[in-house]
Amino acid sequence: MLQLTSITKSYFQKIAVDDVSLTLNEGEIFGLLGPNGAGKTTLIRIINRIIEPEKGEVRYHGELMKGKHLAEIGYLPEERGLYKTMTVYDHAVFLGRLRRMSKEEVNRSLNTWLEKFEITSWKNKRIEELSKGMAQKVQFICAVLHEPKLLILDEPFSGFDPVNVELIQNELKSMKKAGKTILLSSHNMKSVEEICDRAALIHQSKKILEGSVLELRENRKDGRFAIKFKGNMLAFTHALWTGFELIEKEELAKDRFVAYVAMRGENNFQDLLKTLIGQIEIEAAWEVLPSMQQIFIETVTGKNI
Amino acid sequence: MNVSWLVAQRELKERIKTRSFIGMAIVGPLLVMLLVYILFSVGENNKPHWNVLIVDPAGIMDNKILANTTGSIGYDFANNYVQLKDFEKSKRFQKYDALLELNEKIISNKAAFLFYKEKPSFLFATSIQFHLERRLEEVMVGRFSKMSVQEFRGIKQPVTIAFRNLYDPKNESYSLSSWVGFFFGGVILLFILLFGMTILRSVSSEKSNRIVEVLLASVKPRQLMFGKIAGIGIAAIVQFIIWTVLIWIGLFILRETLFPNMLHISNWDLSEMTSKTTSGMEDSLFRSKAYNDFVELVYSRIQFGDMLVFFLLFFIGGYIFYGTFFAALGATSGSENDGQQFVLPIMALLIIALWAGYYTVQNPLSDLTYILSFVPFSSPMVCMVKLAQGYSLGEGYQIYVSFIILALSSFATLRIAGRLYQNGILQFGHRLKLTQFVTWLKNG
Repeated sequence: MLQLTSITKSYFQKIAVDDVSLTLNEGEIFGLLGPNGAGKTTLIRIINRIIEPEKGEVRYHGELMKGKHLAEIGYLPEERGLYKTMTVYDHAVFLGRLRRMSKEEVNRSLNTWLEKFEITSWKNKRIEELSKGMAQKVQFICAVLHEPKLLILDEPFSGFDPVNVELIQNELKSMKKAGKTILLSSHNMKSVEEICDRAALIHQSKKILEGSVLELRENRKDGRFAIKFKGNMLAFTHALWTGFELIEKEELAKDRFVAYVAMRGENNFQDLLKTLIGQIEIEAAWEVLPSMQQIFIETVTGKNI
Repeated sequence: MNVSWLVAQRELKERIKTRSFIGMAIVGPLLVMLLVYILFSVGENNKPHWNVLIVDPAGIMDNKILANTTGSIGYDFANNYVQLKDFEKSKRFQKYDALLELNEKIISNKAAFLFYKEKPSFLFATSIQFHLERRLEEVMVGRFSKMSVQEFRGIKQPVTIAFRNLYDPKNESYSLSSWVGFFFGGVILLFILLFGMTILRSVSSEKSNRIVEVLLASVKPRQLMFGKIAGIGIAAIVQFIIWTVLIWIGLFILRETLFPNMLHISNWDLSEMTSKTTSGMEDSLFRSKAYNDFVELVYSRIQFGDMLVFFLLFFIGGYIFYGTFFAALGATSGSENDGQQFVLPIMALLIIALWAGYYTVQNPLSDLTYILSFVPFSSPMVCMVKLAQGYSLGEGYQIYVSFIILALSSFATLRIAGRLYQNGILQFGHRLKLTQFVTWLKNG
């Protein structure tokens, strides 16, 4: 759906984006990750045609990105604002009409979203009367008012409490189900893990990782498994014997543990379970994958954590 | 709908709802009316009676003039040439305060010179002008037409008297109407400054609260800038229309209440009136409150149609010319207060323009005035003064040339400012330096 090829942009001899290529498929949520100053916002601005790249091109459905395509894109920037003296309704009408909507369409769509978020009473309130969190919701609504096919969100969860993060996440999932494509730039790695299908990591202006979230985590796994059990820790350790190695343990309560185990020799997860059954009461067992947070920090800092 | 127009509409709605806009719409006209009142009431008492010698060697006036001899101006006629030196020094002319020189060309060019010893008050000046004009109308009707005076007055053109200091007859300051032009030009500059600062504040606040990035996803920076300038400009025009209407009403109220004696029939000696108007007309003419010298200047002598049309044209041109600088400044500054230091050079230009207007009032025919009328920084001011003074025959094209230069310059500054706006609008937190302007100008 969206294809970025060799995008390069610099400001006053400082390279902000260096030869970055990305592809977003229709109906997926794509996470754009990277530390502050990596070039994510510049890349997003280039997609939105707010700034132009020095090199490279952006294609939307195979066509070079043009002004006419912007009507199909919704954008929620990281640094966002609203006109304080305008009402929610006036705001929506103004921004909606800039996106080529009629007043009636704006009104219809606004009502739907206000009802969905259970905030219909805000419609005629001035922005200055709203709290920061409330204003954030209005900003989100204004970004999706015109039912964009591609939604670009730069740090959409910042400023929201956990309840509202959940609310927005669910909305994004619903939009994905409805076939919308979402580009999500976020530092909230938990959210990225939960809702993104694929992700790319930008560091020092370059793309250094790209792939499905699961793939990225699988590629970084170190062969550790976790066993959550009830029983005696000594019995557990004896059972492992020479075929497995206890790496780490967490005591959850009296005689309740999570133990992290590595394989030795040709042993695998099945062998581990066979060895443990009968010795302890297994509550859960899973392969330990690194979190996106871990991958992020390790990649950016070059240190293992 | 064009996105610039949507931005302009929002800006317009936002402006006209503000307290400062409403306050300015009320206080502005009140201040102007106060100024008018002071202008016409103070300074009228310094000389209660004026003696004017009308030098009319061609006998055009037939030694008659409509005058309130019992009132404040007395006229005598001389049917031979009087040298200015004689008038200044000779004892027999000591009792006269001014010499009104008429020659045979007055019938065609409607121009006369009045040489004064002491500058006449505004009221006297307009009264003399009014008296001469009335008499000339009768003379011309008698000579060239079978119309009645009343009919003629329906189609008349105003006479211009050039008031000159007897001791400095070459000073061709048409001060009376010049100041009206100066007022119009001053209003242009005032509006440019006030609404230019509004542009600066609006751009800076959009930038600092970051709404600009949301807008830029739908609107190109140049479209945003143009919409903003247009919206605030329309608000300025709305403000001006309110001023015009309120000042108009205020002048009417002044005419009817504070200055009714200026037109009251008791102030005129009807026996002195010339005989060629019918008595019925005299009655209707002088009972009518329409003939107040003061109002005559404001309502008839000033060519309000031309003045307002050119006011609008030069306001729009000047506003865009200066407004683009304010917009570029707002867009390139790192914070809301950062741009303030760069407002000073723009204000300096506006002050120079104001001085240019004053210079034009004093030196309407100088070379510098001629040049300043074409320079876009000063032309809105200078051209309004020159328009009020009246362009000489064959020189009327100059105002169009001035406007075309201003329009082209505004177009150029719009492009330059657009480039600065585009490059600066998404730069935050820096401290604005001149070198950045240059860099942003280069990065097209």
